[in-house]
Amino acid sequence: MEIIRTSDLKKNYTLGKVDVQALNGVDSSIEQGEFIAIMGPSGCGKSTFLNLIGMLDTPTSGDIYIDGRDVTKMNGSARAEYRLKHIGFIFQFFNLFNELTAIENVMFPMMLNKQPDHKERAKELLNIVGLGDRLHHLPSELSGGQQQRVTIARSLANSPKILLADEPTGNLDTRSSVEIIELFRKLNLEQGQTIVMVTHSPEIGGKADRIIHFRDGKVMEG
Amino acid sequence: MSVDLRSALFYSKRDIFKNKKIFIFITLSIIFATANIIAVNALMDGMIYDFVDNTVESSIGHLNIYPDDNERFIDGLGLKEQRLDGLNEVEAYSSRLSASGVLSYKELSAPIVILALDPEKETKVTELLQKLDRGAVINSNDKNTILVSYRLAEDLKLDVGDEADLAFENGDVKIYSVKGIVRTGDKDFDSSTVIMPMNEANRQLAIDNSASVILVRLSDKELAGTYKPVLMRELEVNNVRTWEEETGFLLSFADAWKGFTAVISSVGLIAAAISVGIVIYINVLHKKRQIGIMKAIGAKDSFIFAVFIIEAALFGVIGVSIGNVVGYLVTRYMEAHPFYDAIMQTWISARFGYYLFYNATIVSFTVTILAGVYPAIKASRVDIIKAIWGR
Ligand SMILES: Nc1ncnc2c1ncn2[C@@H]1O[C@H](COP(=O)(O)OP(=O)(O)OP(=O)(O)O)[C@@H](O)[C@H]1O
Ligand SMILES: [Mg+2]
Repeated sequence: MEIIRTSDLKKNYTLGKVDVQALNGVDSSIEQGEFIAIMGPSGCGKSTFLNLIGMLDTPTSGDIYIDGRDVTKMNGSARAEYRLKHIGFIFQFFNLFNELTAIENVMFPMMLNKQPDHKERAKELLNIVGLGDRLHHLPSELSGGQQQRVTIARSLANSPKILLADEPTGNLDTRSSVEIIELFRKLNLEQGQTIVMVTHSPEIGGKADRIIHFRDGKVMEG
Repeated sequence: MSVDLRSALFYSKRDIFKNKKIFIFITLSIIFATANIIAVNALMDGMIYDFVDNTVESSIGHLNIYPDDNERFIDGLGLKEQRLDGLNEVEAYSSRLSASGVLSYKELSAPIVILALDPEKETKVTELLQKLDRGAVINSNDKNTILVSYRLAEDLKLDVGDEADLAFENGDVKIYSVKGIVRTGDKDFDSSTVIMPMNEANRQLAIDNSASVILVRLSDKELAGTYKPVLMRELEVNNVRTWEEETGFLLSFADAWKGFTAVISSVGLIAAAISVGIVIYINVLHKKRQIGIMKAIGAKDSFIFAVFIIEAALFGVIGVSIGNVVGYLVTRYMEAHPFYDAIMQTWISARFGYYLFYNATIVSFTVTILAGVYPAIKASRVDIIKAIWGR
C-alpha cells in the first residue's frame, strides 16, 4: 500500500533577486513499511524534500499525498496536529529539549497528544533503544549516539506512520552510526515502521530497502 | 482553540527552574516591587489617616456652624444653644471662640491662636482635651490657667507649671500658668494654639454671647447630611458644614498624594516587569531551535505562546506571593515602630489594610504577565525551518 506520493513537487526560494529552485518537479512513491534512503550531492534538495513530506514547509507547487490524503491544503494548526500523531522526526543534531531528562523528552509528545500512560510507554521506548538505564539523564549527560537514540524513542512516541530522519548519523562515529541503522532496521522489521532517511554515506544507504537518488532538485531515474 | 495547559506548565516549570541565578534575580525583583507597593501605600495610608483622624478627632463635629459671611462671630449664642438643647438628634455641642494674641516666656515670644472653649462641653464633642501630652486639663472656671500646644511649648521652652505672659488683641496682658501641654498631631494646631476656658476669654476680650464656631455632635454621624437643613432652619444660620464637607478637602489632598505614591511604586514595578520581559525574551532567542523542534513534533503556535506566558505567570505567582509576605512584615514592623518626620514634624507610622494585598497582587501580577506577552508572541511565531536549519 502506498503511504507517500508526490507529484511534480516544486519548491523555490528567493534569495534577494535570485530564484533558487530547490526542488524541480519531484515524482515519488513510497510504500507502507519501506525503509528508504535518500542520497545525492549537497544542495540537491534532500532536506527540502523531507521538510515537505514531513509537513514542516509548504511546496511552491505540486501535490503531496500521505495515506491518500492531499496534505498541501491543510492549515497550520491541522498540520501540527497531523505531525504530532502521524510523523516522527529525527534531525542531524540537537534534537532534544535540554532541560528535560531522557524520559521526559520521550514523554513530551505523548503529553501533547494527551496519552494517559505516557510514563510507562516512554520507559518501554527507551528500553527498545537500549537506554533503559539512562531514564533520568539530561541530554548534556548523554553521548551523541545516546542522544540520537533518545530522539528515535521520542519520534516513536505516538506510534507515527512515518519516521523521517535527516542525516541522523551525520554527527556520529561509525560504530554509533551502525547501531542507529540497526535500530531503524529492527523497528522497520518488528513494527513495520515506514522510514525515510537522508544520508551521505553509501554504506549506511546500502542498508535500506531502496535508495532514491536526488540530483539538482529532481529524482534520478533508474 | 484548546491548549494543553498541563503539558505547557510541565515544560515551563522545567525551563524557569533550570537557571537558578536568573530565577532568583527575577523573583527578587518582583518580590521587591510587590512589597514596595504594599509598604509605600501603607505608609501613605498611615500618614493620611493620622492626619485626617487627628483633624477630625480634635477640631470637627458632625455638623459645624460658622458665622454668616462677612461676620466674625455667631451672635445670639445663648438662644442658639437653647435651641440646640431642644433638638432630638443633637447629643452635644461645643461653642468655640478664636482670637489672636502673643505668648511670651522669658525672652521668647510667639504669635498664637487663642482657642476658648468650655472644657465640659468640648469633651462631649471632640477628643481634643484627651490629647494631653502632660499636665492636667483646664476647668470651666479656671481663671489663671491655660493649655499650650506641644510645638508652641517647645518653641518657647515652656513646660507645665511655668508662668507666661499672654497679650490679647486689645493690648491687655495677663500672666497665666501652664496647666497642660496638648498634642493633637495636627501640625497647624500644634504649632500655635493656646486653649483657655470660655468664661475667662469672654472676660478678657469683653466679648459675650458669641462664638467663632459651634461643633455639634449628632446621635449618628451618618445623619449629618439630612440633619444639616434642619439645623439651618431651627437655628437660623446659613453656614453649616458636615464633617464630610470639612474633611473632603483633606481627602482630596490625600488622593493627590496617593497618585504620587502610585508613581513611586510603579517605578519599581516597571523595573521588575522589564527584567521579566527581557529574561523571557532572551530565553526565547536562545531557545529558537528548541521551539522549532517543539513545533516540528506537533506543538501548535498557541501552545508555544502558552508556555512562555505561563513562565511569566510562574515568576509572577512566586514573586507576588513572597512579595505580599515581605510587604506585610515590613508594614507591620513600621506600624509597631513609627519614625519621626522632621519636615512634617509628626510621627509617621504605616497602616496596614487587607486591600493592600489585593491591589499589590492584581497590579504586580498583571504587569508581570503583560511583560511576558511580547516574548511569547515572538516565540509562537518562530519559523520551524529557519529555527531547525539555522537559516
Ligand atoms: N530557506 C532557504 N532559503 C534559500 N535557499 C534555500 C533554503 N533552503 C534551501 N535552500 C537552497 O535549496 C537548495 C536545496 O537545499 P537542501 O537543504 O534541500 O539541500 P540538501 O540536499 O539537503 O543538502 P545537504 O546535503 O548539504 O544537506 C540549496 O541550493 C539551498 O541553498
Ligand atoms: Mg540537507
